[in-house]
Amino acid sequence: MLTALPDSKWNEATAAHLTNRAGFGGTPAEIEAIRKKGLGAAVRDFVEVKNDAADVTPPSWAHPRDIRAQRMEIKAAKDRGENFQVKARQVRMMEGEEILDLRRWWVDRMLNGPAPLLEKMTLFWHGHFATSIQKVHDAYWMWLQNDALRRNAFGNFGALVKKVSRDPAMMIYLDLQQSRQEHPNENWARELMELFTVGIGNYTEQDIRESARAFTGYRVDMTTQQFHFAPFQQDHGTKTFMNRTGNLNGDDIIDILVSKPACAQFIGRKLWRFFVEDDPRPETVNAIAERLRAHNFEMRPVLREIFSSAEFYSDRVMGNQIKSPVQYIVQTSKLLDAPPPAPIAAQNAMRQMGQILFAPPNVKGWDGGKEWISTSTLLFRYNFANYLINGDAILPPNLQQRRQGADVGFGQAAQLAEQVRRDPIDIGKFVPADVRSKPRAVVDLLAKRLFQAQPGEKEIETFAKFLESRGPDINDATLRELVHLMMSTPQFQLA
Amino acid sequence: MLGAAATWTLPVFLEKTFFALDALAADAATQAVTGKDGTILVVLQMAGGNDGLNMVVPYADDAYHVARPRLRFTPDQVLKIDNHIALNPKLTGLKSLYDEGHAAIMQGVGYPNPNRSHFRSTEIWQTASDADRTVSDGWLGRYFDNCCAGADPTVGVAIGEETPQAFAAKKPTGVTFSRPEQFRFRSSGPANGPMSSEEMFFRQLNESGAGDESGNVASNTGGSIGAISGKTKNDLSTLDFLQRTALDAQLSSDKILAIARKYKSTVPYPQGQLAASLNIVARMIAGGLPTRVYYASQGGFDTHAGQIGTHQRLMGEFNDAVTAFVADLKQQGNFERVLLMTFSEFGRRVQENANGGTDHGAAAPMFVLGGGVKAGLFGKYPSLTDLDHGDLKFNTDFRSVYGTVLDRWLKAPSELVLGRKFPALGIV
Repeated sequence: MLTALPDSKWNEATAAHLTNRAGFGGTPAEIEAIRKKGLGAAVRDFVEVKNDAADVTPPSWAHPRDIRAQRMEIKAAKDRGENFQVKARQVRMMEGEEILDLRRWWVDRMLNGPAPLLEKMTLFWHGHFATSIQKVHDAYWMWLQNDALRRNAFGNFGALVKKVSRDPAMMIYLDLQQSRQEHPNENWARELMELFTVGIGNYTEQDIRESARAFTGYRVDMTTQQFHFAPFQQDHGTKTFMNRTGNLNGDDIIDILVSKPACAQFIGRKLWRFFVEDDPRPETVNAIAERLRAHNFEMRPVLREIFSSAEFYSDRVMGNQIKSPVQYIVQTSKLLDAPPPAPIAAQNAMRQMGQILFAPPNVKGWDGGKEWISTSTLLFRYNFANYLINGDAILPPNLQQRRQGADVGFGQAAQLAEQVRRDPIDIGKFVPADVRSKPRAVVDLLAKRLFQAQPGEKEIETFAKFLESRGPDINDATLRELVHLMMSTPQFQLA
Repeated sequence: MLGAAATWTLPVFLEKTFFALDALAADAATQAVTGKDGTILVVLQMAGGNDGLNMVVPYADDAYHVARPRLRFTPDQVLKIDNHIALNPKLTGLKSLYDEGHAAIMQGVGYPNPNRSHFRSTEIWQTASDADRTVSDGWLGRYFDNCCAGADPTVGVAIGEETPQAFAAKKPTGVTFSRPEQFRFRSSGPANGPMSSEEMFFRQLNESGAGDESGNVASNTGGSIGAISGKTKNDLSTLDFLQRTALDAQLSSDKILAIARKYKSTVPYPQGQLAASLNIVARMIAGGLPTRVYYASQGGFDTHAGQIGTHQRLMGEFNDAVTAFVADLKQQGNFERVLLMTFSEFGRRVQENANGGTDHGAAAPMFVLGGGVKAGLFGKYPSLTDLDHGDLKFNTDFRSVYGTVLDRWLKAPSELVLGRKFPALGIV
């Protein structure tokens, strides 16, 4: 059973915690504004986003195209013996440019949008209904799915699963649009049970085969890029699925799955892991599953209860979650009061840190938690911080020269160098001149701003000694080095 | 432009003077092996479920041609091993290795009650558990825990960004990196000259979890963290785990960078991620990194639709990468010390599907290659007509392969790692 957090526990630390987990963190001023609202109003403002908050302006290129015509064109060129690869390469380039822009667009929504929890919940569903551009090969379809997830993010889970079963990107990703009556494809049917609803161990191989038959007839129209249903491809025969027999269709299968106790447990556990802690206790999972059922799988009231619960604000939860790479990028931009990294740099960082939006590693999505961190990703975080703080000045000198056009032989590199241009952060905004002569005060000020899990006295002393070693004149470059040192710690990875 | 972008990373350019490991680090660097003469295992994961039937082809079996009307290879296309079995046409280098006596092919490898979920079956292979038991430690992690006490963190090296579950251990050991040149901390200081003071302070900050066997972390002020256990990194709290990873990264990066700078391969490698990974492994071996186990992977084997083009491309990449790697090891004189073992979480269904692909299956072959390997076909090719739900039945438990490699190659007691003794194979 979840217990409500008493108002007496609402303070700067709990307000910051809510801001980190229900959104992407905030500056000290933003956190103070949220604290002043009080617990009830603060949670309400995260959860009760206006209905039109999901009416977002799509990227300019995000409209349906005639994929069939595009493919026919390439094929015709091939048949005519022309160099079709030029056209094919153009299509690939466009796909790459658009998905890059879609990543930029979403990061911007997370950072500057009016409803951070809506974006965070959309990110949760993206990881849950993991779908990758690497198989879908079309950014419009990825945007369409993102839009559908956002519009249904706080709504009914069963309705969302039905929506996803008709989502072209998912249908392509799990081969559902190829499934025919004579030859039902099992890929979607299996993952629907294993990863999207009840979890492994709660169905049989026979259930997979029978439900694959129920999902026949789902098609993607390649001229409009939309879902359509082909009744003549549908298997109208009798199926037996989880002890129910009849002419079951796809929606029937989803209704049966969502009604299973295992579904509430599975979704509840996953929700808790994403927003609260890596390894929930069994009684906590039972409690959250019970709330999901009590609210008929409506997500909004469940989220409100999670963010109002004493469990969510317990000592073992606060400041003990490893930031996901996307959280790292967005939150760090807020903390440094700097623009997000250039799209190409952000995309590269997502790849290096192990969470590239719209390209999860597989249909299971991202495991999260400690899986974010290896020696490789941790060192990358430390080095990427350097770029975020100091800008492209840290890039190799030859890359800088190329930007100046001296090296015309490297057009690509020059273009790239221009694309990763970044100014150093304006450290003067956080460290007033009158504090600079007091190392310990500077350290306290910056540590309070930057850390969600406060470092120990030993680390604080090390930071102060670093400043003292540079004293007495502390310039901006030294302060940026200090910020880099602070970000290059285990503690900074936590929120 | 996108191609360039895809490979661009924050670069490393600060040439650093030799940094003497402090006393603490020197202690932790006590090695289980010298790195110069120990045997080495390279594990190559083929992720997604490799179609074993089209890798080791039962070309003389009519049932194969019936089940695979679109995906089959005809007898004149394949590289024949004997009167029944042949290799995929792309595996020319593997065929040569086999003929030279350096490749063992295990047929029909699997485990009882096969699971057809990618994730569960991968977990079973990575943890070497029974199908009905869930274990969080990896089999290589248990090898590190039980047989490599006091070893350098580089005793296990995974090439990539993510640490494989096979490395998961009570006491996480092993490092993960994708580009050795970038596997180091970059301070903001000048590009040349002595270590910046920022970097010296950085080292202090990232040694705080060092060697603290009690598991207490002095700097933890995040409240009572309690016994929070992740899926693969069991016994450490989140902050402990981060601190240990930071320490491992720091202890190993100097060494890895030094080797990467000194040792380049003269053997040409093909393009592609697997080739790049094996190239890094070869350079680390040449440089004498004290590593017993390297881990590399190749993805994309989940061929539910339009299999033929994808699978042939993957087979070609696999063959060319491994061939270059072997040539490199031979040139180094290290081929006798290295054993490469492949695995995939499952094979694929015997009957091709309506989309020109194959669905999740069960038993499949494994390859074991190396100068010290006894060549030949092991186990027997499973029947294509006596099937389990349309899938091949296994006759060799994969843990027999693991056990043999542990006992006879790494000279480590396999029972300690696998929990019991599995029948040994004559591959080593």
